[in-house]
Amino acid sequence: MSEAPPQYTTEYTRRTGGADWIPYWAAARQRELRFQRCADCRRWRHPPGPLCPACGSARSAWERASGRARLISWVIAHPPVLPVWKDRVPYAVVLVECEEGVRTIGGLVHASPDALRMDMPLEVAFAPSPDGDLVPQWRPAQASA
Amino acid sequence: MKDAAAIVGIAESEYTKWGKLTRCTEYQLALETILRAVNDAGLTIADVDGFASFSNDRNEFCFVATDLGVPVVRYAGMTWIVGGGGACAAVGDAAMAIATRTAHCVVVYRSIAMGQFRRFGRALAGDVVGVRPQDAALGFALPFGLFNATIGMALLVRRHMYRYGTTTEQLGHVAVTFRRHANLNPAAVMHGRPMTLADHAAAPRIVEPFGLLDCCLETDGAAAVIVAAADMARDLRQKPAYIMAAAQGMGPRNWTMNNYFKEPLLESPGAYAARDLWRMAGVGPRDVQVAQLYDAFTPLVLASLEEYGFCKPGEAGAFVEDHGLEVGGRLPCNTSGGSLSEAYVHGINLIIEAARQIRGTSLNQVPGAQLSLVTSGNMVPTGALLLRGA
Repeated sequence: MSEAPPQYTTEYTRRTGGADWIPYWAAARQRELRFQRCADCRRWRHPPGPLCPACGSARSAWERASGRARLISWVIAHPPVLPVWKDRVPYAVVLVECEEGVRTIGGLVHASPDALRMDMPLEVAFAPSPDGDLVPQWRPAQASA
Repeated sequence: MKDAAAIVGIAESEYTKWGKLTRCTEYQLALETILRAVNDAGLTIADVDGFASFSNDRNEFCFVATDLGVPVVRYAGMTWIVGGGGACAAVGDAAMAIATRTAHCVVVYRSIAMGQFRRFGRALAGDVVGVRPQDAALGFALPFGLFNATIGMALLVRRHMYRYGTTTEQLGHVAVTFRRHANLNPAAVMHGRPMTLADHAAAPRIVEPFGLLDCCLETDGAAAVIVAAADMARDLRQKPAYIMAAAQGMGPRNWTMNNYFKEPLLESPGAYAARDLWRMAGVGPRDVQVAQLYDAFTPLVLASLEEYGFCKPGEAGAFVEDHGLEVGGRLPCNTSGGSLSEAYVHGINLIIEAARQIRGTSLNQVPGAQLSLVTSGNMVPTGALLLRGA
């Protein structure tokens, strides 16, 4: 999980969090949701960082998450937006709390924002960001989930 | 530090819509405004021996001091309390420098001319991959179109509104009240432009649940505050606004923008500043007659009303609906129009209005104001000041 960051070509999506985030995006390109987990105290953490905020350990691994989450909040963005988003408005962004206890954000895919309800179950779905790279996005949980 | 220092001088430049400052540079605006604040205090530039600012103000103190002809500088501080969270912290730092006798008279200033630099909300345009932690705090959200403070804030606000049943019309009461206050203040950018609840409801959506009129102005302007030692303050031209308490900071797991990882999620850094402020001051919210609550977005005001203890959690919506923010209401707030309708200069104008309320010179004066509260941006690490009269 130490491959070089992708070469982003779209101006406004170029930065994706810096070095600590590289495994997050790299896993998504393999259609996997992974979060950093302390190798000593075993706590999950997100956002990623060099040390475990709970025990101070620098040892960590990127472990696979279930991909199941609860909807904490969402917004719907309207113009004016940055140029790369112009043809995509209105678009929804969701804040979710994953089963592992960590929160993350993503776009809403395969559903209309009208279908969203607070605390509803969501699941990860990998879909491209405007630069074409697969990133973790979210959709309503399927019945079998 | 309690009462060791006071605000003795204040000044504001003209406030204009962003990009409209063309008569001089942002830097010259800073210098002019500082000089006017020194004058207001009845001091000379030679009395100034310290500088404090916030939000990474571009106009560095060494050049400012040199061009103003300041003979000796004993304190210079740029607070790490970020962006609009930093105005009260900068004044608090000035008061600490004075309380420790490091300096005697500190200028706190902020100057913004966006047309001469980059407009807010476009801050990420063209930047390269960064390695600072703050790049992570912004960058991870970009692939999802979450590129500015408004969208980031709206995510937290929707959850807060859901939890407490806050309505968009209640947000409208905040915007309309502050617009009414701005209409009493000819210096306000929105003076002469009244707003109704219907206007608020009909405004274009920016990022739901926010409409345009839930978001603050974008302003070119400068403001400066002179903080002096209490023994010096007593003999000056203006009635001192003593700094009774100054708090700053944040709770656990806070970020700057995109602050989704804190625990509890809906408690803002203001909750922590509030506890420290009241403890330092030895008074409580019931003792305060007037407040300037940071209002980059309407819901921030609701959060501050609750976190500073003016009402219980979840009751701020009813508080504002009941005309609580007006002069004559439970807690007159943002009496010169605030960031929503006077000027958006990262909240330093709120400090100036808080001092005017203590002087008794506000154009929207709260009769008999003795304790005057100011808060800074509570979506990020924050600060607060409690000012008192004689």
